[in-house]
Amino acid sequence: MIHLAKDETKLMVAVHGWSGIVLGLLLYAVVITGMAAVFAEEIGIWSAGHVEAKSAFARPVDGPVRELAARTPAKYHEGVNLFEIGDHNLGAFFHRDETDADGKFVSRGIYYQLDREGRVVKALHGTGEDVFGPRNDDALSSFLVDTHVRLHLPNPWGLLLTGILGLAMLVAAISGLLIHRHLFKDIFTLRRRASPVLVDRDRHSVAGTWSLPFAFVLAFTGSFFSFFGTIGVPIVAMAAFGGDVQKLNETVFGNPGTPDPRAATPGNLDRVLADAARRGGDVPTFVSIEHFGRADAEVTTFHRPREGGLAPTTLLYRGATGAFDRVKPSIGTQPSAGGTLTAIMAPLHFGNFAGIVSKAVWFALGFAMCYVTLTGLRLWLARRREAARSLDWLDRAVTVVGFGLPFALVGAAAAFLIAMPLGAAVYWTPAAFLIAAALAILGGVVAPSRAALDRGLLLATGAGMIVLPALRLATGGPGWTTALAAGQPIIVALDLAFAISGGWTVWRIAGDRAVRTATAAPVLHPAE
Amino acid sequence: MAVISGRWARILLAGPGAVIVALVVMAGMTRWVPAGAAGIDNLVLPLVLVPLIWAALFFHACLDRRLMRVAVVAAGLLVVSGGLVAQGLYARSNTEETTR
Repeated sequence: MIHLAKDETKLMVAVHGWSGIVLGLLLYAVVITGMAAVFAEEIGIWSAGHVEAKSAFARPVDGPVRELAARTPAKYHEGVNLFEIGDHNLGAFFHRDETDADGKFVSRGIYYQLDREGRVVKALHGTGEDVFGPRNDDALSSFLVDTHVRLHLPNPWGLLLTGILGLAMLVAAISGLLIHRHLFKDIFTLRRRASPVLVDRDRHSVAGTWSLPFAFVLAFTGSFFSFFGTIGVPIVAMAAFGGDVQKLNETVFGNPGTPDPRAATPGNLDRVLADAARRGGDVPTFVSIEHFGRADAEVTTFHRPREGGLAPTTLLYRGATGAFDRVKPSIGTQPSAGGTLTAIMAPLHFGNFAGIVSKAVWFALGFAMCYVTLTGLRLWLARRREAARSLDWLDRAVTVVGFGLPFALVGAAAAFLIAMPLGAAVYWTPAAFLIAAALAILGGVVAPSRAALDRGLLLATGAGMIVLPALRLATGGPGWTTALAAGQPIIVALDLAFAISGGWTVWRIAGDRAVRTATAAPVLHPAE
Repeated sequence: MAVISGRWARILLAGPGAVIVALVVMAGMTRWVPAGAAGIDNLVLPLVLVPLIWAALFFHACLDRRLMRVAVVAAGLLVVSGGLVAQGLYARSNTEETTR
């Protein structure tokens, strides 16, 4: 327990409230899309009807990569990134790192998208920022991730904004801990028969207290990711290498060795991948080749953390012979405190270190964070309502964002399901989100009361969720038997999840149990 | 000359002050944090820890009753870290000039 003097507690309550109220609605948007993005991979499989269960790295890739290398200018052989796209197809980015005209460090090259047979479907030329964007079959999951990461604002502003939101969440989490006068009592206090506002306060307090460590971890890792490339790397590069970002990257992520630019036939990549799957416990999720076609080429394979582990596994191979070199830390050439700490930031933020179980826990805690943010905003408003200050517009804005955002996300998912078979999902997914958001805003203006707005948006969201599985099937998505036979039970699981949660929402609203109209607001003391 | 009130001084120290000092401390850490076995700890630890450094400075500025102490700590960190960065840049430019 941390005991603060009365004045300091009051100050912390103010800091807690204002950190939430100033950025709370944006923070809610980031948290709710982050919560959904925990399952971005699964949502991608469900929405696009992917039924291929075998990884691209479990199929022959050596031949296609050699063919791509032969048609790619040698200057882009400096680095080759291999990864999965779509329904376990291969993506390859042949590139070189360079500093562009305005001093920005970029990777420029050619990004090839291959089909299942290893044929080039698309080749995009440009910097990483230019070529990596949403595709027709991943427009929905890309939309979720992009909203979470940068709220669709251009770089670096979007990342800076989400970084600031991460810091606001950090402040709310720490100040939330400091203002508890009876932390352990508060964790278990739920007065069900008290006035509606006190019930809400108890729920906010209980959900917030239990998810405090999670909020802290998410805020810390999230702000790290947002500030890493935008502010952190340029400043550290300036202090340590006179501004040379490339040198910083080589020192931290590279595999230093004596350069040997002689041409050499690359070792067999399929043998490397088979060996990596055996040593890493599973096929890689990402493969990087440095100096493709040179005597000093190196192949690095990246794997998910092993069972019970937190840090990902990384293996290094000699590119010219395909011989295994060593197990390598993800960051740095040898194990180190800084490298390990940096390597666990991603699993801690994404919750993907223990498969579907840790993802489900992260999703549930993300849901708790959404609940805490929304009820926190409502409590802040309830306290001011009783002080006779009219903040009805803010009250409605909280509902429009709080319940309108899930409604708009369901709208985007429905539009994706309809537009993807027509090849127009990249346009219609965000367009439908904007249309649904506009409808929610319109509802906020014309609804007779906030309670009616609550009910309308929740009912629409619930009904939309019930419709999604049927819409998926009607637009050509695989049926349950096909999905199960193909080893994709996640399609069935998400169908059920949408139907059940949508049905539950509609049942709650129809039974008039979910939304309580806060008519009488009892006095809340400042520390409450 | 307008005198900044204690309240505004605290807001300035907790707001832009904490951001500036955290970034300068991050830069300064590259000069004194041991590089470690892999030679990267001085480069990656500041990047990882900067949100926590900022939070520590923010809450110190909010909660320390003695505003002067907040200012002295922030100024001390700023001067020491800034000095280390300046020294590093100066040494680098000297080395580059000698090489030329």
